[in-house]
Amino acid sequence: MASLVSVGRPAGHVEGPSKVTGQARYTADIRLPGLLYGKCLRSPFPHARIVSIDTAPAKALAGVHAVITGADLPNRRIGRFFLDKPVLARDVVRFVGEKVVAVAAESMDIAEEALTRIAVEYDALPAVFDPVEAMQENAPRVHTDTSAYTHPPVPDFVHPGDDRLYPDIPNVVSQVFYTHGDVEAGFAQATREFTHTFTVPPVHQGYIEPHASVVQIEPDGKVNLWLSNKTPFVARSQFAAALDVTEDRVCVNTAPIGGDFGGKGSLMDSVVCYHLAAAAGRPVKMVMTYTEELSAGNPRHPAVITLRTGVDANARIVARQARLVFSCGAYSAFTPLHTVHGSVHAAGPYRMPNVEIEVFRVYTNTVPAGHMRAPGAPQIVFGVESHMDLIARELGLDPLEFRLRNTLVEGDAAPLGEKWKKIRCKETLEAAAREAGWDTEKATHRGRGIGMYDREPGAFGPSSATLSIAADATLTLMTGAADTGTGSYTVLQQVVAQELQLPLESVRVVQGNTDSAHWEVGAGGSRLTHMAGQATLAAVRELKAGLTALAARHMESPREQVTYEAGAFVNTNGQRLALPRLMTALADREELPLRYTGEYVAEDPVEVTSFCAQIAEVAVDPATGQVTLKKLTTAHDVGTILNPLTHQGQVEGGAVQGVGHALTEHLIVQDGAVTNVHLGDYKLPTAMDIPELKTVLVKSDAGPAPYAGKAIGEHSNVAVPAAVANAVFDAVGVRLMDLPVTAEKVYAALREKNSVVKSGA
Amino acid sequence: MKSIQLRVNGQSVERDIPDNTLLIDLLRNGLDLTGTKEGCSVGVCGACTVLLDGQPVSSCLTLAVTANGCAVTTIEGLSEGHRLHPLQKAFIDYGGFQCGICTPGQIMSAKALLDENPRPSKDEIQNWMMGNLCRCTGYYKIIESIQAVADGKVAS
Repeated sequence: MASLVSVGRPAGHVEGPSKVTGQARYTADIRLPGLLYGKCLRSPFPHARIVSIDTAPAKALAGVHAVITGADLPNRRIGRFFLDKPVLARDVVRFVGEKVVAVAAESMDIAEEALTRIAVEYDALPAVFDPVEAMQENAPRVHTDTSAYTHPPVPDFVHPGDDRLYPDIPNVVSQVFYTHGDVEAGFAQATREFTHTFTVPPVHQGYIEPHASVVQIEPDGKVNLWLSNKTPFVARSQFAAALDVTEDRVCVNTAPIGGDFGGKGSLMDSVVCYHLAAAAGRPVKMVMTYTEELSAGNPRHPAVITLRTGVDANARIVARQARLVFSCGAYSAFTPLHTVHGSVHAAGPYRMPNVEIEVFRVYTNTVPAGHMRAPGAPQIVFGVESHMDLIARELGLDPLEFRLRNTLVEGDAAPLGEKWKKIRCKETLEAAAREAGWDTEKATHRGRGIGMYDREPGAFGPSSATLSIAADATLTLMTGAADTGTGSYTVLQQVVAQELQLPLESVRVVQGNTDSAHWEVGAGGSRLTHMAGQATLAAVRELKAGLTALAARHMESPREQVTYEAGAFVNTNGQRLALPRLMTALADREELPLRYTGEYVAEDPVEVTSFCAQIAEVAVDPATGQVTLKKLTTAHDVGTILNPLTHQGQVEGGAVQGVGHALTEHLIVQDGAVTNVHLGDYKLPTAMDIPELKTVLVKSDAGPAPYAGKAIGEHSNVAVPAAVANAVFDAVGVRLMDLPVTAEKVYAALREKNSVVKSGA
Repeated sequence: MKSIQLRVNGQSVERDIPDNTLLIDLLRNGLDLTGTKEGCSVGVCGACTVLLDGQPVSSCLTLAVTANGCAVTTIEGLSEGHRLHPLQKAFIDYGGFQCGICTPGQIMSAKALLDENPRPSKDEIQNWMMGNLCRCTGYYKIIESIQAVADGKVAS
């Protein structure tokens, strides 16, 4: 392979100039002639029958162009996989914040005024908010009849289990099992058994760009759609299904996405926006307020996690049983198909021969839950890694030592049977421990805690890329994948520049809309560097093959005697034709444009995973319970790093999201309603809240991405909450079983501990 | 309605606006300066930060009438033609943004800091920038970007 000239070097975002100058037009920035503004009236009840809706005074308001209710729309339900959510509520509302009436008006002020003139009469119904309560026989039913709800068939996943959709358990959407070995036989070998239950509340993705949608309907009915969505082609499919039209009648246009973190993969307001545009006969824009985001977005699933583990006399794990209950809220429309993917991490990166994981996804009268950075994993790993610490302490072992005895090593089968190659779990943990000074002395009320996680690079669905040489001899890579801010455009640019041995700036990168780009799954599941990267490599191969023939003609050499080396075509006589010169010659002869498309589908499962070990060091104020995260060490088992700048950006940004999840973030739900509904009350970390961060990279040479790269996007956020909770225990001896680790909870736990000590004395 | 006169990025602007018009709406809807972004709408996230007579303000909390007679600088007013302001260049080269939605506000806040204190310490940068939320970067590279400009490492 030629030396790495572009790949492996830090490169600023290719789209940087448009973002730092304010020229980049996000969806909310789009302006169109005749544009109206849409707004929704939302339910104030967690569960109620809609008795009547009077929209006449709203319709009479000057400047209002459309007012629609569920009764005005076709009776079709929408969603990502499960189609169970009405566009506007029909007859029943099932969560506080559900959309009931939509208006479109000349200005946002008029739209908001119109909402105040709508009268809805509700008849309250019994509601249920806790997923475990919702599974009881006497629980109110969130949906009384699910027989009409449709969903695609359950895919045959890596760990096929006995999966049941809508089993005969109240409010349960899905019940999924992952098993390996014989868990009861395993517990029979155990000398000690431990069972703990943990809870994790809902949290918001915290992107700074609220969801926005713009719909314009052309005279022939074709729909132009802009929306904050990271998977335009998937959105097109879902949107076309929602309208019951063929996909060619919809074009999803491109706009930068102002933060995703898993939350920007749904249709959100776009379908109601379409119906407003259709009713008004004018284009409509809808932008959610941040209050709407926090109260009715698609937050991370709250979870109740029960773990039971058996260990033998040598402190080796012999069996693990997990029961995971996720609340998906009032609808399953934003959620993964049949499970919450992170559930597979209930065993952790540890050797254990017998595992049984049972996962429930349960309807409750709360805001529908969705995806967020490593969906399911941060909740599960908080439980798993806290549980590991609890067991270590009970066994009288150092938490590091207990983990080192059980971590996967090369040659081990993972708990669910995966045979990962190049396992670097122990090495990563040891590297983190060294950097964090695990064995060094700590001041009073200081503590250290460990969290572990592993995740394989994403591999699902097809990716594609098109390289074109325009009539003016410029080279452009077109991708159908949105860059959500991770730097995917830049990585793809680096791949092209690397392969063609050209300067980075000679490769333009554009994102095509769904009419112009080839089908592409898009961003998600840490897949783009791998999948779009490989598709880009394939496009380069096509381009080289095509241009070699043209270069041979130009050089008057037989094609088989021409090769491409270091930016030029070379024939066996040693004659060189630089690529830019060939392109100029083709332009002069009017033989341009040329297009070469590469496609990629991962035929085989990914063979490697990436381990992450994190160690938090906290200081706890025993008088107040205040926890200060002093230092966070994050160690990662990495392959070739294509762009060190953006790779580190993922590590840092993820880690600080983990800090928020650990210490401050929590959608507080009371009687079904989120009560901290603005960013003053929902506490995202600020620049003052970040710890000293130490990143350790443990290099490996295996990965499915181009140049043996792996993935990094959904690693550093996951284990931070567990590391922090374990550090708090290490510092002051109190154990928090639910997130976030707030001063109030630590203070209460300290008081309880001290009173127990006193009463025992 | 009120008649207001102000200078926006050096250009004179005269408008008749309803009294309750917010500065952010005047900029974004009235003047098509959509580089100023709206995030939280309650003055917490800092995405809408602009300079009012050189001072950073949340334009989502500022009535446009209060800008009467003032100079407003937005992100669009920072670069000179294609020549980026050193802060803009630094945010690209040092990875100070990812998705970019908070970036105009970050850069405007950073400009106000450096205008007042050209050689801030890391602590001073952190303290000053706490009013601008970023969910992508974890702030480390934002701080590095500003530090690089303060240290004279970035030519415009």
